[in-house]
Amino acid sequence: MNEVLITATSSVTGLGPDLDTTWRRLLAGETAVRPIRRFDASLYPARNASWIEGLESRGNRSLLFPILERVLDGFDPLPRGCRLVTATTKGCIDTFERVRKGLPGDVADIPVSGPLTWLASRLGLNDPGVNINGACASSTMAVARAAAMIESGRADAVLVVCMDLVSEFVFSGFSSLQALDPAGCRPFDRNRNGLSLGEGGAALLMMSAETARRKGIPGIGSVVGWGAANDATHPTAPARDGCGLIQAVRRAMAKASIGPDDIAAINAHGTGTVYNDLMESTAFEAVFGSRPIPLNAIKGAIGHTLGAAGGIEVAVGLRSLADRTLPPTAGFREPMEKCVFSVSPFPQPIGGNYLLSTNSGFGGINAALILKGIPG
Amino acid sequence: MTGSVVAGIGWVTSQGPGRGREAREFSMTSGPIPPVTREDVFPEPNLRFGRLPQYSRVGLAAVAFALRDAGMEHWETKRSAGIVASTRTGCLATDIEYYDTVLPEGGGLPSPILFSCTLPTCFLGEAAIQFGLTGPTLIVNDPAEDALSGVRMALESLSWGESDTMLAGHIDLPAGPAFPGIRTPLAGGLFMVLTNARGPSAPGYGTLDLSEGGAVRHDGIEIAGLNELVRACIAFPRPS
Repeated sequence: MNEVLITATSSVTGLGPDLDTTWRRLLAGETAVRPIRRFDASLYPARNASWIEGLESRGNRSLLFPILERVLDGFDPLPRGCRLVTATTKGCIDTFERVRKGLPGDVADIPVSGPLTWLASRLGLNDPGVNINGACASSTMAVARAAAMIESGRADAVLVVCMDLVSEFVFSGFSSLQALDPAGCRPFDRNRNGLSLGEGGAALLMMSAETARRKGIPGIGSVVGWGAANDATHPTAPARDGCGLIQAVRRAMAKASIGPDDIAAINAHGTGTVYNDLMESTAFEAVFGSRPIPLNAIKGAIGHTLGAAGGIEVAVGLRSLADRTLPPTAGFREPMEKCVFSVSPFPQPIGGNYLLSTNSGFGGINAALILKGIPG
Repeated sequence: MTGSVVAGIGWVTSQGPGRGREAREFSMTSGPIPPVTREDVFPEPNLRFGRLPQYSRVGLAAVAFALRDAGMEHWETKRSAGIVASTRTGCLATDIEYYDTVLPEGGGLPSPILFSCTLPTCFLGEAAIQFGLTGPTLIVNDPAEDALSGVRMALESLSWGESDTMLAGHIDLPAGPAFPGIRTPLAGGLFMVLTNARGPSAPGYGTLDLSEGGAVRHDGIEIAGLNELVRACIAFPRPS
């Protein structure tokens, strides 16, 4: 079995055009959730989201492409034979909106093959790759798939690219479900009242340790465990007992051959909805008991970036392990009921090598990754 | 790579619903998909089925028929089977239906029920609930013409020990006149039950595995596309 390294990361979020800026502003406890200017949100009770400044559509094409340009700008060269796995839930949804409104737009961009083909061309890959859609756990599942491909020897190197946009399509839907917090999301807070949407992208270059060693490429961290499971209880709401997430986390720990005491920090999905955060707290307590593990969620800072969330959180998680610091949970003020974990509006120290990162989504989907830092 | 047994096959195509044990031939084309009703799928009343859009109905029906064909429809305790399906256009038809509720009122009356079905994975959640399936569930968007990436991924997951049983298939609905430039060469839904579990079960349709290069093989013979795969399976000799 091959060890799976991540050798390069890149990320664009509402907090900044690169991972360094996002990291610095996360540590400062800042948020990019602010009034939307992309469409008229005045008819909706909530009017905020985390959006990326200065995106410009070229030739009536999707805003997804300038995000991807920024994500890939200056990114490490790809090894020969590198495979591509992407993650997005709604792809070029803004193009879909334009065309449905009778405005000009390239219809070929609407199926996910549009951005896949664009990426393959931009990266000089012969194989356009595949996109994984696992709802809001899409990029976590994409990283897991890439890790399994490398571990089994099916691939030497895989580039995972994840992306999603803030759009009226998605915003109106979550608004109709009364799932948006007009005040901005407050993960794991007693007064949490819903999520804030966000947009962003990330790229993660993954390869076998042997390939990296042969090419003289240093690793940033490794993916040592992964797991996924379905609640099989409700089409949109999380299982109250956290059964699917418990199973996903246990599978990831079994894969990593580690126990609950080895996990030093948790990057939770932490959408800020009443039921998600309670479900996660319940599931983590079932797995880890009452040990007050440092736990955070970055969606109060960058919003819920949907299919991009897990990938951005891996990039941030690896930085957390390298700096031994878990970023603050923006929006958090007062601990929620029955949560034994250490959530803070301030940075928290990490006293170990393993970070658990989880995401959950519509359709009862749960996925978990265990990242391992490389001792500096 | 060790092979996985094809234990059941079910589908909804332009010719209507079907399953392996009842079929003599199979063809998935780009033709329109006839409506799927609750009576086609479930003998008993089903509160959720009637509220689902066509994409989710087709997917859920194909999963149900595949499990029925494998003798695995009924369950008492949840089981760790996963589901993976390939698609080109996903739930585009549902997206159109939902967005039409957003446009006329400028965001005033979007349908929450339709919105909750605007992910191509949503029917997988319905299937997981209906049949107690707790394994990984995902959709893979793949521009490849062979429509085999769902099957390929399921075989990989089975060979990696991620699950003992996977439902693998393909789903697409024609985009229709709203997006005339978008092609769906294989319209409808099709699932296969692939299993590594050994034990009493209905006779299978042969064994699938992957070549070194990643090609899907049926009893050792490389398969070029989904239609060819299903035809090879239903022609596979098995006890009547």
